[in-house]
Amino acid sequence: MDSWTYIPQLLASGITVGAIYALVALGFVTITRACQIINFAQGEFVMLGGLLTFFLLKDLTPSYPLAASIAIGIVVMVGFLMYLSVIYPLRKAPMLIPLIATLGASIFLSNTSGLLFGTLPKALPPFSGEHPFQMLGVSVLPQSLWVLGATFLLLALLYLLSHRTFLGKAMEASSTDPLGADLVGISRNRMVFLAFGVSAGTGAIAGILITPVFFTSYNSGTILGLKGFIAAVLGGWGKNTGAILGGFVLGILEALSVAFIPAGYKDAVAFAILLLILYFRPKGILGSPFVDSRRW
Amino acid sequence: MSLLRVEEITKVYGGLRALDHFSLNVEKGIIKGLIGPNGAGKSTLFHLISGIEKPDSGKIYFKDKEITALESHEISALGIARTFQTVQTLSNMTAIENIMAGMHLRLKGNLLSSGFWLPWTGRAEKGALNEAKEILDLLGLLGRWKSPASQLPLGKQKLLELGRALAMKPELVLLDEPASGLTSAEGDQLKERIHQFKRDGMTFCIVEHQMGMVMEIADQVAVLYNGRLIAEGPPDIVGRDAQVMDAYLKRKRSDA
Amino acid sequence: MVDSDKKEFRKRDFLYVIPLWLLSLIVPDADDLYSYRSKEFKRRELFYLGALLLLPLIWRDPHFHHLMVLGGIYAILALGLSLFLGYAGQISLGHAAFFGIGAYTTAILTTRYGFPPFLAFWISPFIAAVAAYLIGRPILKLKGYFLAIATLGFGEIFQVIVRESTALTGGVIGIFDIPFLAVGGFTFDTYLKQYYLTWGLLLGLFLYSKNLVRSKMGRAFLAVAASEEAASTIGINVTQTKLGVFVIGAAFAGFAGSLFASIMSIANPEAFSLNLSVLIVIMVILGGMGNLYGPIFVSVLLTWLVDILGKYQAWSLPIYGVILILLLIFFPDGIGSRLGMRLIYLISYWSKKKRREEGKV
Repeated sequence: MDSWTYIPQLLASGITVGAIYALVALGFVTITRACQIINFAQGEFVMLGGLLTFFLLKDLTPSYPLAASIAIGIVVMVGFLMYLSVIYPLRKAPMLIPLIATLGASIFLSNTSGLLFGTLPKALPPFSGEHPFQMLGVSVLPQSLWVLGATFLLLALLYLLSHRTFLGKAMEASSTDPLGADLVGISRNRMVFLAFGVSAGTGAIAGILITPVFFTSYNSGTILGLKGFIAAVLGGWGKNTGAILGGFVLGILEALSVAFIPAGYKDAVAFAILLLILYFRPKGILGSPFVDSRRW
Repeated sequence: MSLLRVEEITKVYGGLRALDHFSLNVEKGIIKGLIGPNGAGKSTLFHLISGIEKPDSGKIYFKDKEITALESHEISALGIARTFQTVQTLSNMTAIENIMAGMHLRLKGNLLSSGFWLPWTGRAEKGALNEAKEILDLLGLLGRWKSPASQLPLGKQKLLELGRALAMKPELVLLDEPASGLTSAEGDQLKERIHQFKRDGMTFCIVEHQMGMVMEIADQVAVLYNGRLIAEGPPDIVGRDAQVMDAYLKRKRSDA
Repeated sequence: MVDSDKKEFRKRDFLYVIPLWLLSLIVPDADDLYSYRSKEFKRRELFYLGALLLLPLIWRDPHFHHLMVLGGIYAILALGLSLFLGYAGQISLGHAAFFGIGAYTTAILTTRYGFPPFLAFWISPFIAAVAAYLIGRPILKLKGYFLAIATLGFGEIFQVIVRESTALTGGVIGIFDIPFLAVGGFTFDTYLKQYYLTWGLLLGLFLYSKNLVRSKMGRAFLAVAASEEAASTIGINVTQTKLGVFVIGAAFAGFAGSLFASIMSIANPEAFSLNLSVLIVIMVILGGMGNLYGPIFVSVLLTWLVDILGKYQAWSLPIYGVILILLLIFFPDGIGSRLGMRLIYLISYWSKKKRREEGKV
């Protein structure tokens, strides 16, 4: 029963990773709420955030915050570009095709990054201190606290955005009732465009947060994207709160599984959870506005 | 002989009681009309009978055999065919293929025998093609037998759906608003066809919104209001029933 | 001056018009639904058959043969998936896993247990079919997007399992020295022989598929795609039908995998990834849903495309990705659809444009 002693430590790292999954899941949900499309390139936004910051830091400016901000800006641009070049032209096609197109975009983005940035994994310096400290008997990296803190801050910001600002409310309206929103002058296309930007930005921030802890390379986006997606489904597909909850639950479950299963199978755990959820409770833990209403 | 028997069916959607302890009996060989204002639960009843949805309580019997819990395709196999209120033609196929699809249960064949084109498959296909053409001819659609179903105008699509149901050679046919979208000439044609098939031994249960059509061809009419049966009997008597008129005109007794 | 302008106009036009016209001759017309699914073997079919049989003899370049063999393998994959996706309308993003199951079954049976290749060749699709049956039973109850995601999940799990079960599958490195397929004393060891093997198998599988499609089963598939509700009311057991097509598609993939293993002589996990699953789906979409010929053409086309792009080495993958996305945007109904119409539209567009410009001058 040696593995049991590791549990608290695993929990801690699970929560950290879970926060990242939560952010990625949020990105998915934002876009899906806006246009019912699953953006499989979401993971690539995360990867780009981390990689771009690394190179900007190295080549352009030693100021960490500046590099990070520019990187986020670039990724948001990429998000907008992706909307304009892939989603918008296919807006009238049956739903399968934009889905496949986002998969294609994901492959394109990851391979191009591989070419432009090289294939070796990169790491960013942590925001503060490198040395882990003890907290509740568990070894915690300062970066983990940053991750958690930033995640909750971002959540709060997104909540304020969608409930307190006009723009946010417009996006919500457009996602709940596209035709009705259109009739009162809220352009659906513009809302989806913005949703892509928000998703890309969220993803980029997640990438910058996580790269100091785990390495990022050109192909880490794909698996991260898939896991973020699983988190979103797990928590309740289509709900922001579901995405958050799902992210943490997935992170924790995945981390804990290492105690019982050979480490190589860790990735399979997420997919096994996916299959189980889809089979037993497709709505997810918190329920889903999409599954019952037959919106797709 | 009672062909279809619905006993104390209740179906609730959220807060809405679509059907409330509703019972109905359909004798063999008649045309039973089912009328009632919109939202009264008529289509729901068809969904329950054909197995697409399950009632919250109550039982359904077909030829004295309970079918309440059976799957939709099993119920079809027993001899019940239906059409849909919002036309559900098989839009990715041509008109003739739609009819031939209706013959699915009557044709021999499975994944292996069809794939290897065992001798009977060719014969079955040919026979099916000819019979389907006959059905199309009967409905006046033969000229467009090769058109994709999605290119047909709505009225013809409804007839196509009817043809698909008839291709099953069913004992009971559930028609959900067959006349809506048809011109009056097409409506008359439809009435004639239904009479003809009734003479051939089929039983019909027709849900209709338009009183004219159903009152003319039905042998018996049942009236559904707020999920409950409020009148049943021959058309002329039901048509004069005060409660029925109240339901349609939504007169409140207290106003009088 | 006006005359020379007119000549210029014609020359430029040919760049667009000729390829489209050639394409429309060769690629079958996807719009004529009924004759498409009937038995009539038109002259076009004979042309294809003849070309298929004679091409490798006319063009004796082994590289060409190799390409066509690969194209043929992908075509078998696409054919199997086209029944599931193109006809029955169900999405599978994990199809590469069955390809992998076929390949690894052959690899393991021949290298670890000394099975004769011919026997392994027939066992592989069977195993793939069984796997599809076991996976399909629970998964196929899901609809639309959820089915797509579940199949994706299954595909990923398969990859992880293959990577980790080092003892059985050789892990990340894979299995080497898989023997060529051999029947009796005859070994398929050259690209030419493999060409006939692959395309012969494809022909057989194609005939099987065409038979299915023009029978009541084909109509059942299409009915499930059109409206599951309506299908169930005409007696079609929707879940079983979906399961049946899924298993058949997997069996085809198993065949393709077995061929792949014996031709490439190696099997490793990288070849059976999500990328391949997505690629096969794209082949079916671009080939046209409800079309058996289209996916075969597109498979060969894309195989050639990859080969041509190989010259650009590292940039080939991103360019490939862009081309695929562009193709999806311009041909969401399949490359063969409305080719005639597009041709007419293009010609009239150019001539009107030229006339407008000339008018201004």
